Amino acid sequence: MRGIQLSLNQTQRLRLQTALELLETLSSKASLNASVTVADTIPVNYEDGVLKGHGTTELDGEVVATVCGVVERVNKLVYVRALRARYKPEIGDIIVGRVIEVAPKRWRLEINFIQDAVLMLSSMTLPDGIQRRRTAVDELNMRSIFEENDVVCAEVRGFQHDGSLHLQARSQKYGKLERGQLLTIPPYLVKRRKQHFHHLEEYGVDLIIGCNGFIWVGEHVEAKDDMVVDDQVNKSEQHSSKSKSWTSLEEQEQAYTHAETRQNICRIANAVRVLSTLGFNVTLDVIMETVYLSSSSNVEIHEMLGAEFCVLVAESEAERRSSSAKRKG
Amino acid sequence: MGSVKRKSVEDPSEEFTSPLKQQRDNGFAGVDEPVACVHDVSYPEGYVPRSSNRDSAQEDSKPPKEFPFSLDPFQLEAIKCLDTGESVMVSAHTSAGKTVVALYAIAMSLRNKQRVIYTSPIKALSNQKYREFKEEFSDVGLMTGDVTIDPNASCLVMTTEIWRSMQYKGSEVIREVAWIIFDEVHYMRDRERGVVWEESIVMAPKKSRFVFLSATVPNAKEFADWVAKVHKQPCHIVYTDYRPTPLQHYLFPSGSDGLYLVVDERGKFREDSFQKALNALVPASEGDRKRENGKWQKGLVVGKAGEESDIFKMVKMIIQRQYDPVILFSFSKRECESLAMQYHLVSDTDTSYSHNIQVSNMLPLLKRGIETFSIGLNMPAKTVVFTNVRKFDGDKFRWLSSGEYIQMSGRAGRRGIDERGVCILMVDEKLEPSTAKMMVKGSADCLNSAFHLSYNMLLNQMRSEEGDPENLLRNSFYQFQSDRAIPDLEKQAKLLEEERDSMLIEEEDSLENYYSLLQQFKSLKKDVRDIVLSPRYCLPFFQPGRLVSIQCTGDDDNAPSFSIEDRITWGVIINFERVKGLSEDDANKKPEDANYTVDVLTRCSVRRDEVARKTVIIVPLKEPGEPIVLSVPISQIDSLSSVRLVISKDLLPLEARENTLKKVSEVLSRFAKEGMPLLDPEEDMKIISGHFQVQSSSYRKAVRRIEALENLFEKHEIAKSPLIEQKLKVLHKKKELTAKIKSIKRATRSSTVLAFKDELKARKRVLRRLGYASSDDVVELKGKVACEISSADELTLTELMFNGVLKEIKVEEMISLLSCFVWQEKLQDAPKPRDELELLFTQLQDTARRVAKVQLECKVQIDVENFVSSFRPDIMEAVYAWAKGSKFYEIMEISQVFEGSLIRAIRRLEEVLQQLIQAAKSIGETELEAKLEDAVSKIKRDIVFAASLYL
Repeated sequence: MRGIQLSLNQTQRLRLQTALELLETLSSKASLNASVTVADTIPVNYEDGVLKGHGTTELDGEVVATVCGVVERVNKLVYVRALRARYKPEIGDIIVGRVIEVAPKRWRLEINFIQDAVLMLSSMTLPDGIQRRRTAVDELNMRSIFEENDVVCAEVRGFQHDGSLHLQARSQKYGKLERGQLLTIPPYLVKRRKQHFHHLEEYGVDLIIGCNGFIWVGEHVEAKDDMVVDDQVNKSEQHSSKSKSWTSLEEQEQAYTHAETRQNICRIANAVRVLSTLGFNVTLDVIMETVYLSSSSNVEIHEMLGAEFCVLVAESEAERRSSSAKRKG
Repeated sequence: MGSVKRKSVEDPSEEFTSPLKQQRDNGFAGVDEPVACVHDVSYPEGYVPRSSNRDSAQEDSKPPKEFPFSLDPFQLEAIKCLDTGESVMVSAHTSAGKTVVALYAIAMSLRNKQRVIYTSPIKALSNQKYREFKEEFSDVGLMTGDVTIDPNASCLVMTTEIWRSMQYKGSEVIREVAWIIFDEVHYMRDRERGVVWEESIVMAPKKSRFVFLSATVPNAKEFADWVAKVHKQPCHIVYTDYRPTPLQHYLFPSGSDGLYLVVDERGKFREDSFQKALNALVPASEGDRKRENGKWQKGLVVGKAGEESDIFKMVKMIIQRQYDPVILFSFSKRECESLAMQYHLVSDTDTSYSHNIQVSNMLPLLKRGIETFSIGLNMPAKTVVFTNVRKFDGDKFRWLSSGEYIQMSGRAGRRGIDERGVCILMVDEKLEPSTAKMMVKGSADCLNSAFHLSYNMLLNQMRSEEGDPENLLRNSFYQFQSDRAIPDLEKQAKLLEEERDSMLIEEEDSLENYYSLLQQFKSLKKDVRDIVLSPRYCLPFFQPGRLVSIQCTGDDDNAPSFSIEDRITWGVIINFERVKGLSEDDANKKPEDANYTVDVLTRCSVRRDEVARKTVIIVPLKEPGEPIVLSVPISQIDSLSSVRLVISKDLLPLEARENTLKKVSEVLSRFAKEGMPLLDPEEDMKIISGHFQVQSSSYRKAVRRIEALENLFEKHEIAKSPLIEQKLKVLHKKKELTAKIKSIKRATRSSTVLAFKDELKARKRVLRRLGYASSDDVVELKGKVACEISSADELTLTELMFNGVLKEIKVEEMISLLSCFVWQEKLQDAPKPRDELELLFTQLQDTARRVAKVQLECKVQIDVENFVSSFRPDIMEAVYAWAKGSKFYEIMEISQVFEGSLIRAIRRLEEVLQQLIQAAKSIGETELEAKLEDAVSKIKRDIVFAASLYL
């Protein structure tokens, strides 16, 4: 029941408690014991030698945690995985961020990290898709690509020598996100996966689960991308170049989002909100499960954030995990 | 394979390319015209060429670069392709002038404000090209493992490895590069590094265009087809055989003192002088035949009391005839070193120094032989000499292939200075005339894929969201080549099947039964012989004078006989000796495990074939022939008799040998009735009472079964059939066909599935088992560390790091330990490192063994001990001393290695350290990071890191 802020009635409270307790028994005990707070000593075997990773330091000959979190060990390496902290980027992570400044040759993005991330103009594929050096004109036109407050999806490229965090957009599928909702959840609820881009065909929705806890739910955009090897690329070049630079008329037409799609976006977004409230890991499977649950039990979109549905989700999740645990065991 | 459409009549592209074609037809009508070139285009499937109106618009503008000389046709063709903005592969000889195409591409990109990347296989070439381009264009940067100069320049020169890692890391260059120039792209067939080219080409941005510069390869079209398919863009091929300075090939038979022109500047092979050259070979007489093993080295040993070696003689001759400067190719390091010393001798006595300077400059390079020199490093000479044409190929010596020969001989003749280049091949007895002929006359090597998987590659692919190792495999040149082979294989299989079905044999069933019995019988007999004649048992009986029966070598080696009796003859043992292997390992073998040859006097027929090479065939005693002493391997001996003859000491005169053979015949006729008395394996040779229980029991078993089989033969219904021999031969042929069909079908099946699919699975299993990746292919912490390590074995080094080994030890010890990762050469008598280093090395070996065992368990094909011994401790001491601050000459005294190799190893060590720094950063271990930084500063000093053109 830690930190869950909901106005529950007596029965709901009881039901939620049971469900959470069940979930707790199912999760492995080991990780509970390994949690530390700042200045806790981490027991290590000094004779074998030890590698002190992130979140640890040596104090009076002892390895001490510098953050609250869970102790993780890989061979001789000991590090602390922080919980409820800001996002800690790793190379190759897919993130969603918001542009907060257009600076010379670069955009600054808020990505819930301790510093702003940098997206260089040269790390973006140009809208015309031509491989060339960036010119002063390009620099002046940067606002036509991203403006302040635009939501952008990118990949973590790594730390530069000056310590700043750089992003990149490898292909056309990265870039500006439009016509959708941005949700922010604690980053520790997002697990790294092979895929973070999801196209939910039945809803016509794109779902991007950023590793930084920023989640994008928006109308599906057809990737105009030839990095992905498929047969569509065989289309003649005139054709594809035409489709890339939309005329304003086409743009207007594109700008309209069907009501049904908008409702789907809201439903999925609310599902994510519920999961985040309950402190459940946010993965595609769980989100979809929650969405199905809401539509199958005829819960209206606006009711999804109510206490009743929360309890329902917790119960069904507990049931799902216990049944899968039984199947395994 | 229908994936690539070639020009056809209804193809709209015909119109577009026809002007080029016409020009070729009209302008250079003659087929033999040396400057002619072939131009072809590969289109991706379903590609509609653009209309040419865009090109006409461009024609008005000035060309990006104009050359002060008139271009050769192939250069014009290639530049035309560049002007239309399409990729091109230029395949031509080294000195033909491919650089012009690269220069044009760079100039064009710079004009269009686009980036251009030039990659080459080695740093030396990159350095040289950087200087060249810098002079020409100024906006040029260089990136190699050692140096980075102006990485923001528009034109970047780099090694292919750097380009690959830039693509993995997602450098911004990727989004700005319009043209990528791959120089020496035929390097793709390199066993170890070739895969880097495939990765780089597959992952290259789809919008960019390519310029491939390669040596002459016969399958340039295939390569272009692949590029067209993978990148969905047309790729042109411009191929030419043209050489600006024609080549003359000479032979220098060892021991003689003249050169023989075998291929003249028009490329005509001169049969008559080739014969003369072979006849001029100083024949190795019977007496010193035994020294032959060491012979080719002997010629090189320096100034043995004024004795002039062949090379010395030749170099003198070259200088007298003013054929210098000269490049000498030799493929052993030791030889290079001794050569170097010799040249100081020459320089003392001669007035011409130019060649000496060349040679000493190249010493560090000579060592690498082909790898370095066959590529376009600009170091021309008038003459090229091959001191020997055998090359050590990792595990064995082999002849230079004709392709390598073409590449290397291309160094001869400086454009615009020499009228013709001279290429001299030193030959000795060991060289088969046919091999020599093939080498000088043969065609270039095919460009074949040398694709293989590595963990670093897998992890890098898995780490990026778009990366997919399977995708890489699917797009690899390897897959492309094997896909292409399928229709061919199917056709082959069908033809063979038809041939097999057309063979009809009577009573096939019983014949087959007989056949299989025969096979069993033979294999059993062989087993018995192998046991009886294993060196352990038979060595004591190889006394001179003993009669042995040996198998005759027939003309038809491939057609086995089908009688129960082997064709055997008798001879007299003269001597036996141990075969000296080429690897040093042999020295450690126990006497009974080594290989032996036995010198036997017997009757042989000697024939000379067209190329005047002797072929010696052992024939039965009664047939006409000469008595000759031959070396035969033990496996050719059939049995040992208990009879020994007294033989004369001096067998050199023919009569003595003839007489000895007469005696043999006499003995044979004396025992004709009861058969020759043989050594009894059990009583005389003590096989049963030996300590080797397993062997003796298997021996007894085999003997019993042979007896049983012999009975069966007699009873067999078909054994009496008169035509049994011929029938069996037909059946055998049929069986062979069936086996062939089977293997072809297997090859077809394996090419239809994704190449390396099983290996990919196995390797992923390893990564999961060791905790580098999770079950759903997400790269874990350890995997991220291994991603950073590309210059050493990524798994072993990562394990070593995670086990805290690097953390505990002193900086110098750590450097010393890491040196084992970058040193692969085996030194014969390297002293053992001191105890604490030895201890560390054992730790490394343990880790390596564990890694290898996990791989084996996961069904990755790996030889555990081989893998473990691939880490060499030989330079640990030297590197330790270097880290401690010793002078370079001091560490050279410690280790008996070649300066260049040591310098290279230390440089590579620095690369590894840099990668480890990144790795330490990513796991957040700051102390280790600082330690590694310290290590870099300790080794990065003085001569080792002095900027050099040739390293």
